[in-house]
Formats: sequence, structure tokens, C-alpha cells
Amino acid sequence: MGFEDIPDEPAPERKNLVTRGDLRRVFFRSLALEANFNFESWQNTGFAFSMIPVLRKLYVTKEKMAQALKRHLQFFNTTAHGSTLILGITAAMEEQNSQQDDFEEESINTVKTGLMGPLAGVFDSLFWGTLKVIAAGVGISLAINGNILGPLLFILVFNIPHILLRYNLTFIGYNTGNKFLQNLAKTNVMDKLTTGASILGLMVIGAMPAILMPISTPLMIGTEGSQVAVQSILDQLVPRILPLALTFLAFYMVKKNVKTTWLLLGVLVLGFVGSIIHLFA
Amino acid sequence: MLITYLLITLIVMFGHLEDFLGAALLSRPLVLGPLVGLVLGDITQGIIIGATLELIFMGNIKVGAAIPPDVITGGVLGTAFAIMSGKGPSIALALAIPISILAEMVISGLFVLRPMFNNSFNRYAEQGEYKKIEWLHIGSGLLKPLLMGLLTFLALELGDGVMKSFLDSIPPWVQSGLQVAGNMLPAVGFALLMNLMFNQKVAAWFFLGFILASYLKLPMIAIGGLGIILPLLSQG
Repeated sequence: MGFEDIPDEPAPERKNLVTRGDLRRVFFRSLALEANFNFESWQNTGFAFSMIPVLRKLYVTKEKMAQALKRHLQFFNTTAHGSTLILGITAAMEEQNSQQDDFEEESINTVKTGLMGPLAGVFDSLFWGTLKVIAAGVGISLAINGNILGPLLFILVFNIPHILLRYNLTFIGYNTGNKFLQNLAKTNVMDKLTTGASILGLMVIGAMPAILMPISTPLMIGTEGSQVAVQSILDQLVPRILPLALTFLAFYMVKKNVKTTWLLLGVLVLGFVGSIIHLFA
Repeated sequence: MLITYLLITLIVMFGHLEDFLGAALLSRPLVLGPLVGLVLGDITQGIIIGATLELIFMGNIKVGAAIPPDVITGGVLGTAFAIMSGKGPSIALALAIPISILAEMVISGLFVLRPMFNNSFNRYAEQGEYKKIEWLHIGSGLLKPLLMGLLTFLALELGDGVMKSFLDSIPPWVQSGLQVAGNMLPAVGFALLMNLMFNQKVAAWFFLGFILASYLKLPMIAIGGLGIILPLLSQG
């Protein structure tokens, strides 16, 4: 499902009851979105928890409140870092619902569930695929030598963009709603952004086997007296080819749906045995 | 020693509080490792071990339905046992991997049991009792830090003596084997990340990153910078 298919939200004819303070509270509460993560309904109680400051403002009667709470205890799952965009959009829709008797309440959950999948695709690749990778690349390459700047930069490189985006998306969602996403979809900005972000992430991942995997082979070939180290031949062709090859071997296994746990154990054994038989060092 | 164990337990609990702190990477080995090092009086070793574990658990992220090995409990305990017995990163990772897999099973169990609360959540919603929903959300959320904290403390209290003599009995060839395995394991993390993004359209950029690092020996920050500039130029 793409962003083009997201149902239109009804035209905003409403008084602004939700304040900036309420939205700020939604943002802070979104940090606890996954606290009660469970295998049945996933982030549902986190979503309700995050919406409560808005619901309290909008619904004074017990019946209305009960309906709203039940609405937001439905299954929900998206990338936590970008969840505030959906929370903001939902806040705007709830506000309208509270003032308009003929508002179709089901449309709130239709929009929520319509957005959570496509947005998770975008935000997973942005936060996990790009920001986390860059933060880790920079942080690890410093910390591996014992430099305290490593962990510090790791936290900052990820969280400065993370918090700025997460905070502002709450307000963007509330103020512009689906229109924002539909416009992005029309102009292909989202596609360009996702592609740009994955290019950046992939370049850093490509560099990682070369920089962060000190694997070589102590194998020698040739007859006694005129032996040549295999590693020096490899180095003349493609330096760091072994780590690259191992990475692609692992990637092939992941593509074959081998479980991560088995993959970790498999590589552990490969390295261990490889070291004992002097294939790898 | 009790104080040390309690502090390490607190580090694990802080790590698991990530569920309340917006998945801000504060629970990653690269952050918790130095904290363990600080408690045990060897912060440099903590940073180095943290970096090694971060590398190996690089692709260990919560995307979709997959629950990854619990690197918080595994990483902190592995780091703590390794530093306490004067060993390096290779021992830390040899301990962290099995412990994190065991801990993952406990956490998956919790995620299976939590839907039991959904009845209460729905009842409170029916009554419009939003305060009770808030408290149940927070209370159920605290179960994970509390449970993993308890397990960590028990592991330290019961396992420390055994672990020390066990680690001291490990012969050097096993240690060098583990070191090689440790250098190789990041491949899994890289592969998991590639799985998130790698396709034919953008594959060339992966190899560009590799060539910049392997032939031209550029540092990571420079490659990150080029990763921003080059796509901008090529898109016009």
C-alpha cells in the first residue's frame, strides 16, 4: 500500500482545542510507545497511552472517553522514532470527531492502520538503515581504540536528528495531516529521501567490512623454500576481499531466511575452527 | 562486591528502560560497555569491549516481528565477567552471545504472556478509566527491566566464582580461536543491515563504499560525508 492510497481525511472545519502543550505531552509519551510491547496487539497500549493527553482535552463524558480509548487499543505497530507523525494526524482527527456529530469514527483507525505500514518502511530505513549505521560506524571506529568520544558521538549522531524529527513530526502531523504525505507522494520527495538515505547507509556499510573486520589468512602456497603468502596475493588483487566475501556469504544466508541465532553460531564455529586449522587469522 | 553487582544490575535495568526512553540507542553495547567499565574501574576496556559487541550485534535491531537476541543482558554480563576476570573482548563476546540468546527467550516469553493484560486494558477502556490504563501500561512496561535486573543479579551472585575459574581454565588456543571468530562475526550484522536496503538499484553504492575504504583507506567519517554529497550531486 503506497501513500497515494491513504484515505482522505475529512476537510478540517474545527476549533483548535488541542494546545501545543498537549502535543508536546504526546511527543514525550511517545517515548514509551513500546513499553508494553506484546505479541497480540503490539504497541496498542503505547498508542493509547500517548493519545491520552489529547483525549482528556476533547472528551469529557465517560461514554465518549470509553469509545476513544477502545479505538486506540486496537493493534498498532510502526517505527517508534517516527510514530509521532501518526499520533499528530490522529490528534487532529480526534479533535474533529469531538466537534462533528456525523464524523465517521472508523476513519480514524482506517487512517492509522493505512499509515503504519508504509511509514514503517520509510522510517525503518531512515533510522535503522541509515542513522544508526552512520552513528555506529563513526562511534565504533573511534571506540575500538578506547576513545570515549566513540560512545558520545554514537549517541549524538543518532539522537540529534532523531529527537528533532520526532518532536516536529508531532506538529506536522497535527497541522497538515495526510495532505503532507499526499503532497510528498505526488512530488516523489519521499522516494528521493528514502533512496538518498539508503545510498548513504549502504556506502557506510560497504566500508565496514574493509575497516572493521580484521580477517586474513595465514595460508602459504608453493613448494618448500619458495613459499608465497596467499594473503599478499589477495592484497594485490582486492585488499580486504576476505571480509567482503564473508559478508556476502552471511547476506546470502539471511536471504535464505536462516535465523539470526543460527547464523551467529555458524559464523562463530567457522571462525573458531578456521583459526584452529590455520585457515583464518 | 555486593555494591558492584548492584551497580551492574542497575546498568542492565537502565538498558531495558529503553522502552520508556524512545529507543534512543542508550541500551546499545557501545553505551552500556563503558558504564560497566566505569563501575569495574577499567573504562577503556569497557569502551573497547562495547565497540566489539556493538559491531557483532550491529544488525541486532527490532524491525517488524523479529525479536533479536537480548544484547542488553548478554552484553552487560559478558562485559562484566570478562573485565572482572581480566580477559579481553573475545571472552566478552563468547559469553555475550549465549547469554543474549537465553535472555531473548525469557523476553519472548514475557511478550507472549503480556496479552493477558489486554482484558484489563479493555475493561478499563470500557469504563473510561484512562488513569488505570496509564498505570497498567507503565506497570507492565516495568516488568521487563525488573525481570532482567533480577536475572542479572542472580547470574552475578551465583555465577561469578564459577565463571572466574572457568574462564581461567580456557587455554590460549581457544582464546585465539574466539578472537578470530569475533573478528568474523560482524559479517552477520552487516548482512542483516544489507537485507534492509540492498537491491540492484543501489548496489553500486555499497561497492563504492568498500573501494573507498579498502583501496583508498578513507576513514569512516569521510565516507559518510561522501555518502551525503554524492547522491545530492547525482540527483541534481
